[in-house]
Amino acid sequence: MDHRLYIVAYDISDQRRWRRLFKLMNGYGEWLQLSVFQCRLSRKQHAELIALIDGILHHQEDHVILLDLGPAENVDPHVVSLGKRFEKVQHAPIIV
Amino acid sequence: MDPPGRQQELPLPFPEFSGDLPLLPVRMVNEYMYCPRLAYLEWVQAEWAESGDTVEGRYSHRRVDQPQGDLPPPGAGSEETIHARSITLSSNSLGLIAKLDLVEGEGDIVTPVDYKRGKRPHVPRGAYDPERVQLCAQGLILRDHGYRCDEGVLYFAASRERVRVSFDDELIRLTENAISGLRLVAAGGQLPPPLVDSPKCPRCSLNGICLPDEINFFKGADLAPRPLFVAHDEALPVYVQAHHAKVSKKGETLEIHVDDKKVTTARLIHVSQLALSGNVYLTTPTLHELMKRGIPVTWQSFGGWFMGHTVGTGHKNVELRTAQYRASFDDQICLHLAKGLVEAKIRNSRTLLRRNWKSDEDKSILISSLQRDVRHCIRCHGIEELLGVEGAAASRYFSAFGHLLRPADNETLSFNFTRRNRRPPTDPVNALLSYAYSLLARLWTVTLSAVGFDPYRGFYHQPRYGRPALALDLMEPFRPLIADSCVLQAINNGEVRPSDFIQVAGSVNLNSDGRKRFIGAFERRLGHEITHPLLGYRISYRRLIELQSRLLGRFLLGDLPDYPNFITR
Repeated sequence: MDHRLYIVAYDISDQRRWRRLFKLMNGYGEWLQLSVFQCRLSRKQHAELIALIDGILHHQEDHVILLDLGPAENVDPHVVSLGKRFEKVQHAPIIV
Repeated sequence: MDPPGRQQELPLPFPEFSGDLPLLPVRMVNEYMYCPRLAYLEWVQAEWAESGDTVEGRYSHRRVDQPQGDLPPPGAGSEETIHARSITLSSNSLGLIAKLDLVEGEGDIVTPVDYKRGKRPHVPRGAYDPERVQLCAQGLILRDHGYRCDEGVLYFAASRERVRVSFDDELIRLTENAISGLRLVAAGGQLPPPLVDSPKCPRCSLNGICLPDEINFFKGADLAPRPLFVAHDEALPVYVQAHHAKVSKKGETLEIHVDDKKVTTARLIHVSQLALSGNVYLTTPTLHELMKRGIPVTWQSFGGWFMGHTVGTGHKNVELRTAQYRASFDDQICLHLAKGLVEAKIRNSRTLLRRNWKSDEDKSILISSLQRDVRHCIRCHGIEELLGVEGAAASRYFSAFGHLLRPADNETLSFNFTRRNRRPPTDPVNALLSYAYSLLARLWTVTLSAVGFDPYRGFYHQPRYGRPALALDLMEPFRPLIADSCVLQAINNGEVRPSDFIQVAGSVNLNSDGRKRFIGAFERRLGHEITHPLLGYRISYRRLIELQSRLLGRFLLGDLPDYPNFITR
């Protein structure tokens, strides 16, 4: 599998756009902290996400960064996490 | 708009071209230059797959795809500069239609500009031939409309460079050849052969449908197939079987509620299919979204009986379905395919017995009689005879299945297996087997229809009301490999315990909790990677099922001499 692990962080100056982006990000990753998401994406999904974010963003006022942490299967990101535990986002079938 | 007398100057590329045939999109001429098979798959068979490149391509086109400015008719006399975006033009004499990203010019002299996602390639003519030909075809359409058009521009978005392409005689000849070549291929109704070991294949978004290396390998090429097909497992299924569950959509996610309490969310991009069993409630907006994204929903009764599935408008590849029906009426092909499937099933069950034997009893007689069944099966002359051989082998196999289980402990319902029974199963092992088969049949049905088949028309199983005959056909070799071995694993590892079953009026069924764990074991089995005995690369069972479906399609469409059955080593 060719998923990669990303940390996406954003600063959005407008409440409406912020909510739209938050909703979108929920579809692509797991919420980590205020305006920070953890995503596991294929190359196609990465391209999709960028295109969708770009459609929401105002380039003059807002800022989004995507940090690539490496291949999702075998990377063990060096993360210092105080308080809550940082856990890598999982990819598994959901059975309810 | 055509000036009179102009049409005669352009030779008709194909005499039988009439208003009945659809116009060829110019993009397809590009694909044809890149690979004739790609053009055929996309244009004639309407196959499409999205990849990172195609998504990025659309993204870099977002500005030019918005219509802006207009293209004044030629001879209007205005000397204003033309700057028109996203102009759709067609030409009946060329039989082409094109969406021009950008047309620049002045008066009657115009230049088409085509946007490309990547960087400018460093090749002799400034660009590769497919792009030059596509641009030239756009130029020819503009000429056909009465403009003067001697050159075009390719704009490479990544490096922000413009490359001029002049429409000289050589390029025009190349373009005309490509147009008539594509039309010939499309009219011929025969899928062109794949490229051999081409560096173009790995980045082609359709390589999982085309299977270039696999086809060449089975046709006898002396090349180990590259694992191009293996890469794409992006999404996984979501099973909902809890009582009173509700599935709804929120933004880009699915939310699953049980008794009005949110239990979990699933991101739509990571969902490959939604499997609902029992009285689960799915909202209409969610169903619309799932259909739009091509995510199938399967409906099962609470006990696991497969009732049907919902897909959007379905698969567009009519040629494949036609080939399937045609073959299904041919007794020779039916018998040939059925023999292969039954043989593979017996061989695979034999391997399963050999590997998992737990008891002290001697198994050599059993193994050799199964081997005899295989030989008998190859000699069969009709489907009835084959059914007999399969039945004999199955009863031999199930008579020994109990020897594969860990010795039972002393509880009321233990895992003692004596014989296979169903409708309804009367002991836990039979209940597990039945449930596993229904999961497998559902998986095959979904996969086959996603690939473009009609799962209800088979070759070995006769069509009967509501029975997915093709899915049942193709799952035969995989019964021992996926379903039976998953049952063994679940029992022998203690994942499913005797207390996970409920017994009502002589029939035994899994309870909700046990079923959940069993589905987990089944999905784990599907994610298990094995080395393909013929192709030599590692592949998960989940992808293997899709691969086998596509290979069957390739056989039915005449691309492969035979359907390669999966027989484990």
